[in-house]
Amino acid sequence: MSTLEVKDLHVSIDGKNILKGVNLTMKTGEIHAIMGPNGTGKSTLSEAIMGHPAYKVTQGEVLLNGENILELPVDERARAGLFLAMQYPAEIPGVTNAEFIRGAINARRPEDKPLSVRSFLKQLDKTMSVLDMTEEMADRYLNEGFSGGEKKRNEILQLMMIKPKFAILDEIDSGLDIDALKVVSRGVNQMRGPEFGSLIITHYQRLLNYIVPDVVHVMMGGRIVKQGGPELAKRLEDEGYAGLRDELGLDIKLVDEEA
Amino acid sequence: MTVDLKKYPAIAEYAKKTAEPTWFTELRTKSLEKASSLELPSFEKIRYQRWPIQLEQPLEKKGSRKELIETLKPEQTGNMVVQLGQNTLELKISSEMQDQGVIVCDWQTALREHGDLVQKYFMQKAVKFDEDRLTAQHVAHLTSGLFIYVPKNVVLKEAFTSYFFQDATAKNDYVHHVIIVVGENSEFSYLENLKTVGEQATTANIIVEVVAQENSHVKFASVDRLGANTTTYLNRRGHLKKNAKIDWSMGMMNDGNIVGDFDSDLAGDGAHSEVKIVAISTGKQVQGIDTRVTNIGKHTIGHILQHGVILSRSTLTFNGIGHIIKGAKGADAQQESRVLMLSNKAKGDANPILLIDDNDVTAGHAASIGRVNQEQLYYLMSRGLPKKVAERLVIIGFLGPVLAAIPSKVIRAQLKATIERKLIDGQKDE
Repeated sequence: MSTLEVKDLHVSIDGKNILKGVNLTMKTGEIHAIMGPNGTGKSTLSEAIMGHPAYKVTQGEVLLNGENILELPVDERARAGLFLAMQYPAEIPGVTNAEFIRGAINARRPEDKPLSVRSFLKQLDKTMSVLDMTEEMADRYLNEGFSGGEKKRNEILQLMMIKPKFAILDEIDSGLDIDALKVVSRGVNQMRGPEFGSLIITHYQRLLNYIVPDVVHVMMGGRIVKQGGPELAKRLEDEGYAGLRDELGLDIKLVDEEA
Repeated sequence: MTVDLKKYPAIAEYAKKTAEPTWFTELRTKSLEKASSLELPSFEKIRYQRWPIQLEQPLEKKGSRKELIETLKPEQTGNMVVQLGQNTLELKISSEMQDQGVIVCDWQTALREHGDLVQKYFMQKAVKFDEDRLTAQHVAHLTSGLFIYVPKNVVLKEAFTSYFFQDATAKNDYVHHVIIVVGENSEFSYLENLKTVGEQATTANIIVEVVAQENSHVKFASVDRLGANTTTYLNRRGHLKKNAKIDWSMGMMNDGNIVGDFDSDLAGDGAHSEVKIVAISTGKQVQGIDTRVTNIGKHTIGHILQHGVILSRSTLTFNGIGHIIKGAKGADAQQESRVLMLSNKAKGDANPILLIDDNDVTAGHAASIGRVNQEQLYYLMSRGLPKKVAERLVIIGFLGPVLAAIPSKVIRAQLKATIERKLIDGQKDE
């Protein structure tokens, strides 16, 4: 079992404070969801955990199995077991999807023991069929010219092939139609197990009908303001974020709120 | 004209040993006499004049060490030539080529057995012997090369490959000439591998002339890997007749200082040249690449696409010259030069130069110098790839548009492997 702990995390970008003390603990075997209105720092949290250079941690720590990972470069965090399915994956022309995924897997193996091409392809074929992806997607250049939905599936494909300890899924549902949403959820659900934990970031409850979380965190104004079970997500869907805010007596302006 | 060979004992000696025809020996002495009064060629923003690029050693026939020869067997077995220094180790021509009357032979054989043909094309159509000091020195010191003659109406399916090894195990100049003449309505694919063996400081002067006759189509590809201590003048030039086409695909993967002068003269109406170049500079080397297409005929098309990457303290300069001569109605000159810098100490330049002397034409250019896209790097690293591996993938991605435009899949794959190797070596200096 592994643990991921976020302790009193403060993060700023371009000098603006976004996260103002986030605390969160999760274990493998658990699925956590973070919900919250737009502009509340959900993506900032995921990028800061992964180590995007533009996000500056000003206070606090992120511990993986008790060790602070904030000093590690991005690739070492990844090899330590973290994965971030990104909202806007970069496009890399000239590098095929299959070539890239194999490289990522081999980066985790001893240099003299790379995964054989044959067993890699077998695994890739199997995983792609779970995600209803056509074979040609393996030979296309990484994310280049992919539709929004194809990019999301491709993120989940990488997740399933790399098999991290903890995966953060940053709004993996945005821009997906209901069929694609089901496919993506199927992939994530297949990963569920004692060796896998996931932090799912979303602002709609819909995704959580398909990937049922163990814990739901609500984030507002750069902090986690409430925790609960899956029923908390349903309640937010019915009452909206403003209701919860007022109940908690928070003085936070919601970005999308009418003035 | 009679030449007093007594004035040139080295040339006289060499001519006797190789039994080269008199006209050629006379051209050598004429070139030598003229060389000192000619200027070195000048290229925008490429300052190479102080390099040891001029040929100063006397003409001399030289062999290479036998034990070296054994190590140079390429994997390929047929339809190829292997040369080391001045010597030809192997020459195998497919029956397809033989049956259709294609001539492929080394330089000395060409002069002896196909003297008239060589005389017709050598420094006549594409490059002139007295163009500048380097071309004149080239003729005076020329000691190796290849002659390929494809008669008209011959369509060759299989490509011909050359492996030219510059022998730098001794301090010998490497002066090499390739002529490729492709006849009317013929099609020919050629892949050239230039590589250095040995580490002595040497000078290379290489000229390749491609003459594409009416309606012919030539695919010329090259992977250049000259050594760190070789200073090179590399001139490749195409002369295109009516409706002829040349596809150039060149990988400049050298480790030493080099001036690449790559030109196409679109002499006939409807002639078409596509020039694709990828280049990587590493260490402290300087690579200056001057690519020119001259539209002379009507409705000619000249496209230049060059992408390059610079590591460490190295320099890479791309000049792209589109020159449309007055009267070249309906001509099209397009070019794109892009340079990616991986280090703050690297120096890069991309200079688009359009010289247009006619109104009824289309022309365009794009040029950029940039740094590695951080979002791409972050994405790749977030999957666990170490920074250097991620950088290599981004670089291959950056070179991708040029690689993708190279017609042959085999050459694409080969070039990609060479790029990978050059980058891994280059990153060690970072």
